[in-house]
Amino acid sequence: MDLISLRFTWFYALTQLKLKYRYTSLGFLWNFLEPAMYLLILSFVFSVVNRMNISDYAVFLFSALVPWRYFEKIVNTCMDSVVGGDWLLKKMHVSPFSFPLTRWIVATVEFLISLSVVFFIFLFLKENWTYHIFILPAIIIPWALLGLGMGLLSAVLYTFFRDVKPLIQMFLTLVFFSSPILFKPNLFDPNSLQAKLMQWHPITYFAALFQKPMYEATFPSSLDWGVALSVSLFFLLVGYIAMHRYKGRFFFYL
Amino acid sequence: MNTIFKLQNVTVEFDRHSIQLRSLKEKIAAFIRKEQPQKICALDNLSLTIHEGENVGIIGRNGAGKSTLLRVLTKVITPQHGKVFVNPNRHLVPLLELGIGFQPDLSGRENCYLAGILMGYSRAEIKQRINNIIKFAELEEFIDEPVKNYSSGMYARLAFAIATDVQPEILLVDEVFGVGDEFFMRKCIVRMQRLMQAGSTTIFVSHNLDFLITQCTRLIWLDKGKVIMDGNPAEVVSAYRSMQGAA
Repeated sequence: MDLISLRFTWFYALTQLKLKYRYTSLGFLWNFLEPAMYLLILSFVFSVVNRMNISDYAVFLFSALVPWRYFEKIVNTCMDSVVGGDWLLKKMHVSPFSFPLTRWIVATVEFLISLSVVFFIFLFLKENWTYHIFILPAIIIPWALLGLGMGLLSAVLYTFFRDVKPLIQMFLTLVFFSSPILFKPNLFDPNSLQAKLMQWHPITYFAALFQKPMYEATFPSSLDWGVALSVSLFFLLVGYIAMHRYKGRFFFYL
Repeated sequence: MNTIFKLQNVTVEFDRHSIQLRSLKEKIAAFIRKEQPQKICALDNLSLTIHEGENVGIIGRNGAGKSTLLRVLTKVITPQHGKVFVNPNRHLVPLLELGIGFQPDLSGRENCYLAGILMGYSRAEIKQRINNIIKFAELEEFIDEPVKNYSSGMYARLAFAIATDVQPEILLVDEVFGVGDEFFMRKCIVRMQRLMQAGSTTIFVSHNLDFLITQCTRLIWLDKGKVIMDGNPAEVVSAYRSMQGAA
């Protein structure tokens, strides 16, 4: 990316954040209320389904659901970012990377706000706080990289094929419901097919990065780190290559 | 003399019926039926060189490929075939449309920063220039209002002031005159002349032939993506007019 595109990306992301809250009185507050309400309702419903103590289940659920929502938001907002950037891409030379990157920055800032909401809720729900929580800034990195990689890939696909949006969203739903975010993996017999599938599910390891320090009071294992970093870097590379290779064709599809 | 632009056998084609081709379903169906999309050729094997200090005008009827050519020169379009060289050591400012990069909900001042960044300036450089821009655009009272509340004349004045306050080494202009009232329009033309006299390489796309004859040192006549004539402005305009008259 050239210097102009980098400067533009940063300034445009800041203006998008500013504009989001400029004309709304509840705007900034809503950023806290919306995840709080969503998390509380989900934790109530699924604690009943899973027959678990609500505060224990809420801590388990929030620890992986919040980064998942961040990841999902990046993919969904990046998807139409290049098409949405036609107002500039058709008139001026700017790197097409700028548009997914802008959405990624905005989603990351909102995710950090959501995390503060989670901590506030945890003050009431979580009994034992351990030093493992200090690893939090590091465990955000694999999720952020995976989101950016998938975001770039989805932006390329959506630019060429406008009907892929529901397919990508269905894929995300499938990944979400098949991963151990809503339920604990020990729900299944260790020799069962479900338990084996869970072992091969990459999101198991991404979820563990948050679940272990926040719920189990342990550090993520080297396997968790290894799988999460490899998968996220792989998708980042694939997304980058796809965007770089096809950027010259975007103009004709905007 | 330094080469600013060099195009070698450049071809740009657009797909006909491109809306249907933006769907995965249609793409798979076309692949199974072995259908090739029909193409419209906007630039056809075009070669040309533009040197430093030249003031080049581009004329031609609607659909001749003038705007596509400017978009190739500004690297907005990557051609399917051919080579494009743009001198990387010169500061290029494209003025393909007034208000590129403007966000309606941002204030005039914030849009100055956004547009300035797109033209290659840092925030500190824009800060130094912003008072000049506001003064030229005559928008001192309204600069902190969102531009969505501006009249079309105010909007165009601000956009023109930002684009031309800078000292570009290469300026590409696509039919953007007719800015604001007559008094302001005259101010714009004086500013453009000053830029040209200062040695900027300028490329104009315009239907205003009299303006091009007086301001340009070279004129290129395009038709159906090909160069029909390239040379002295008065001769090219005379040939163009006689051809238009015959048609």
